[in-house]
Amino acid sequence: MARASIKLLVLLGALLATAVLSLHVGGRADVGISQFFSLLSNSGERTLQELVMLDIRMPRTVVAILTGINLAIAGVILQAITRNALASPSILGINQGAALGMTLAVLLPSVFVVGVEAMAIIGALLAGTLTFGFSGGFRGSIRPLPLVLSGVAVGAFSFAMVRFTFTLDDEVARDVILWTTGDISGVRWHDTTALSLWAFGGILAAMLIAHKLNLLAMGEAAAQGVGADPRKTLLIGAVIAAGLTGVSVATAGPMAFVGLVVPHLCRIVVGADHRRLLPAAAVGGAVLLLFADGLSKLVVAPEEVPVGVIAALIGAPYFVYQALFSKELDL
Amino acid sequence: MGNRRFLSSLAAAGFALLSLGGIAQARDVQHELGTTNVPDEPKRIVVLEFSFIDSLAAVGVAPVGLTDDNKPERITEQYRAIIGNDFVSVGTRKSPSLEMIASLQPDLIIADKTRHSSAYKSLSAIAPTIVLDSLTGDYHSALEQAQVIGDAIGKSEEMKARVAAHTARFESVKANVANAKKEGRTFQFGVVSSRGLYLHAPHSYNGSLLMALGLPLSLSAEGAGVSYESAYVKTSLEQLSEINPGVLLLGRYSENTVTDQWKDEPLYKAVTAVKEEQVYYVSGHNWARLRGIVASELTFDELEAALAKVAEKTGK
Repeated sequence: MARASIKLLVLLGALLATAVLSLHVGGRADVGISQFFSLLSNSGERTLQELVMLDIRMPRTVVAILTGINLAIAGVILQAITRNALASPSILGINQGAALGMTLAVLLPSVFVVGVEAMAIIGALLAGTLTFGFSGGFRGSIRPLPLVLSGVAVGAFSFAMVRFTFTLDDEVARDVILWTTGDISGVRWHDTTALSLWAFGGILAAMLIAHKLNLLAMGEAAAQGVGADPRKTLLIGAVIAAGLTGVSVATAGPMAFVGLVVPHLCRIVVGADHRRLLPAAAVGGAVLLLFADGLSKLVVAPEEVPVGVIAALIGAPYFVYQALFSKELDL
Repeated sequence: MGNRRFLSSLAAAGFALLSLGGIAQARDVQHELGTTNVPDEPKRIVVLEFSFIDSLAAVGVAPVGLTDDNKPERITEQYRAIIGNDFVSVGTRKSPSLEMIASLQPDLIIADKTRHSSAYKSLSAIAPTIVLDSLTGDYHSALEQAQVIGDAIGKSEEMKARVAAHTARFESVKANVANAKKEGRTFQFGVVSSRGLYLHAPHSYNGSLLMALGLPLSLSAEGAGVSYESAYVKTSLEQLSEINPGVLLLGRYSENTVTDQWKDEPLYKAVTAVKEEQVYYVSGHNWARLRGIVASELTFDELEAALAKVAEKTGK
């Protein structure tokens, strides 16, 4: 019990430290964490520096937290329902499907009238369904290699379609490049609403099926043996994961590797029980993106590197390590 | 009979001599990818960048084909007034249609170094092709390229006169700018869309034009020559407030832009240009996409109008 609370303290400490980093750095050198505290104490007229903290830094930090939570939870769920350590929104093509959905919504607004956010979720769902279908997931057995290969194929196809827009127009191309790298430099408070609703609902729903995810992890046969219908869990999990990914991509663009790396690291720390893994991954995802956000503002200051690039720079080496040395993969 | 044959062969020889003369007059044009032999006074010219349209229009020559990005409005009325409407679109500047170009049977193609170098062989197989650096070139090089084009199409003298007239106009604007300079404001041009604000650095095309005029720019000249992308700086509100331009000249690329979204934010209102109502919307298309003699004179018009307003407001 003492060890568990130490782990919790470490995670929360990391969250606090990276949140301070994300809040402290940015375009204006005269705005830092001290404005955050003066905001709390100052009830009168707010200074310009305090307003920068309130209107620009804080929503950005909150978006980083929520995006990290959403992608990490999506990753945990996907890894559980596919029983595949390599599963994550980007590996399964779900990120790219969401990006394609958004691109379509922006290019042809009269055809895809449901809006950018909805198209991102639809694209995510569709890409996930295709990946599952191609790998034989609907026949009840998901083997790691076909799953990853299908995901790569679906992702590559979606991205090829997105890249096609690069040839259309310089300005459209520039916009698409922005989404496809993951960028949160322009977010404001109103961008946090959908993200926070999904994050809250996603954690809640995932916690409710946490026990079933544990059973699934033992194998579908075992799960059926104790009376759980794995297909139902699979479906619910897939919908939650696609929704979480879609809403994140719609706000921040696709962030590769967050949904892959965070569940792994957290599994090492708190173990494979989803009742503990899910909250840990939520915090871990937030920490990773907060850290990436802070770095993205520092690396080439005063300009910025898109946060998605930094997240990938952190995540990719771990992915390679995992692919080379992991015993779980069993490719 | 024999006489007639003699006459006809004489005519043929004369014709051959004439055409030989033609070839002798054809000129070698030096360009980014080498030297190309261009026929005398090409009549069917296809151009693949806006600045090349500009150079043709500057001396009253109409192309048979051009790239309009499949958006006819990108060929502005100022050009149409000179080159008419009897040209054919060969697609986008980024990926023009080789088939369309070939079908026009051109006798000269003018292509861009960045966008079309990889297609140089294919283009050369269609017609003599010259390649110039429009996309990443600055204002000064745009004027030089205009002269190269003038030479290539057999209008050297006309182009020299046009450039001279342009330079006179440039100098008068420069004098105007020198007056405005005394007020101590910095200026910054950028284009703005719903996705973001992109400030044009001093080493961008527009930046080089404003620099040549002696306008004090807000963005520093650091990073010059780094890359094409680095000339267009995506700028967040926080960064804008740090750069803090005294006059903001904005080209609007979409209906609802980020500057519209920022207009109620205290930080935006605190930017000097915004606080002192020195934000002017200009034609982003003319200022940034179009390049060359005609386009920069349109820029001069809008800049002088803005300078007059700046002076008026400061005077109050």
